[in-house]
Amino acid sequence: MRDPGATIASSLPARIARVVFLVFVLLLLYGPLAILALFSFNDAIVIALPFETFTLEWYREALQNTLVRESLKNSIVLATVVMPISVLLGTLAAFAVTRFAYRMRSGVAVLVGGPLVVPWLLISVGLLLFFSRIEMPLGFLTIGLSHVVVAFPLVAAIISARLLRFDPRQEEAARDLGATNTEVLRYVILPHLAPALAASAVLAFSYSFNNFVITFFTGGFELTFPTWVFSTLRHAQNVPIVNAISTLVSAVQLGVILLVWWLWNRRARRHAGVDPMEMLW
Amino acid sequence: MVARAASAPRRRSLAGPFYASVPTAVLILLFIGPMLILLYYSFQESLFGQAKGWTLDNYATILTDKTYAKVMFTTVLICTTSMLLMLAIAIPLAYLLAMRLSPKIELLFLLLLVLSEELNPLIRVYAWRTILGREGVINFVLTRLGIVDQPLDILLFSSLAVVIVLSGTYVTYTTIPIYAALKAVDPVLLEAADDLGATFATRFRKILLPLAAPGIFVAIILVYIPLYSEFAAPALVGGTSGYMIGNAIQEQILEAGNRGVGAAMSFMLLILSCAIAAFGYRLGRIKRLQATA
Repeated sequence: MRDPGATIASSLPARIARVVFLVFVLLLLYGPLAILALFSFNDAIVIALPFETFTLEWYREALQNTLVRESLKNSIVLATVVMPISVLLGTLAAFAVTRFAYRMRSGVAVLVGGPLVVPWLLISVGLLLFFSRIEMPLGFLTIGLSHVVVAFPLVAAIISARLLRFDPRQEEAARDLGATNTEVLRYVILPHLAPALAASAVLAFSYSFNNFVITFFTGGFELTFPTWVFSTLRHAQNVPIVNAISTLVSAVQLGVILLVWWLWNRRARRHAGVDPMEMLW
Repeated sequence: MVARAASAPRRRSLAGPFYASVPTAVLILLFIGPMLILLYYSFQESLFGQAKGWTLDNYATILTDKTYAKVMFTTVLICTTSMLLMLAIAIPLAYLLAMRLSPKIELLFLLLLVLSEELNPLIRVYAWRTILGREGVINFVLTRLGIVDQPLDILLFSSLAVVIVLSGTYVTYTTIPIYAALKAVDPVLLEAADDLGATFATRFRKILLPLAAPGIFVAIILVYIPLYSEFAAPALVGGTSGYMIGNAIQEQILEAGNRGVGAAMSFMLLILSCAIAAFGYRLGRIKRLQATA
């Protein structure tokens, strides 16, 4: 453990500049969201200062709005279906590119990396033209397929990174002690992969839940939460119910991720030597 | 030993292709397929969204029409300004995180950076609207303090707004790779330079920047390329002066039904992405060579 700041002394102005800079970064990251949340409690239809009185009216209206409820339900169902499929395909791909040697291996690795490099807009346009060419009607099926295509390569990247750090001697030891293939998978490999699997499940879910561009192009007339936000904002300047529901959704997202991170941290503390930062990427 | 010798070749021969089969099939059908369709449409004359025969007109239109040149210029300007702005924030931030802050604050900031990335990007764009708008927070403060008489309209629905919003959105992806590169640097190097009397500027230019170069290269790949295909942020805060190529593609494909031109623009954007990736890769290598020399 190095002692920061101990060797290169910093003067007082430098330290003040540092604090100002860090506060600026925090404001850039969270300032807009804080103001968004603040206005969700403001009793005025126009989102502007100064503040009127405190109200929960916008939350009530947002939760009663049928389009909000439907789009949220659609997004949650979609992400719930996309997540396990992406984790499964991504894990298969990760095993295929890291654990076995065969002729086409590097080709498979490049192919799996492809959707991570090509911008989503181009993938979306390609998918739209593709679905219309094979005359597949746009809807939840096309949205789901498109989400899987961008989400599972990310899962594959996370799981591969974890698999590459797996000590094969552990597996050999298990085999020498007479473990079958299934037992090796169940008691040696899966426990090692657990954190990567959890991280990629969270990421695959939020990839699908947050995705706007791909849904917008491949979704036809179906509404998900991001496309509802977009179409509402396109035609109206400021909408307090968007503030309310956005605040609610963001709070739930932050809560879930912090919970997963906390669970992972607890586990890391129990198994010494596991890097608590590893969960983050 | 015997058991392993027996099991290893069997895994080598069949299991790999078996695991690879389904993901590969999905990607060939739903990734390679659409990319080829994109290429196909870009060489097709299109009428009401239907392909009507081979042509080079789509590319000719894009390359000769002045409107597209203007859109492309705006796009390059917005993306490059945002990228430089983000590097100006990310390099010092990564340096502070990797070298100067206590481990506790370092961890907290990393967590905050990553968390902000998990939130819905559209919500973030909307949040900026309530800050930059005519009745927004910035204008309120400026008019109340008497710095300006009239609310500033340039803040929202302008290319400036797009730059601000995009910079706030992608700053995490810019910082993390540079942080990772600097984290691998032995702080003794900086101490040595300090002991030898190097000024901060010299330490920055001669040591920090070359060592951060691989991270900067990754950041450029991760951020500069997707910036070019942004379309939600410019659509919501860009107005006419912040109209980017992503908006043009969306308009041609979804609204004008002119799939040929839309596909040709997409394909040119793909080539541009590859060029940026290649350039970034070269940059990373050259800087690394200088660092070792």
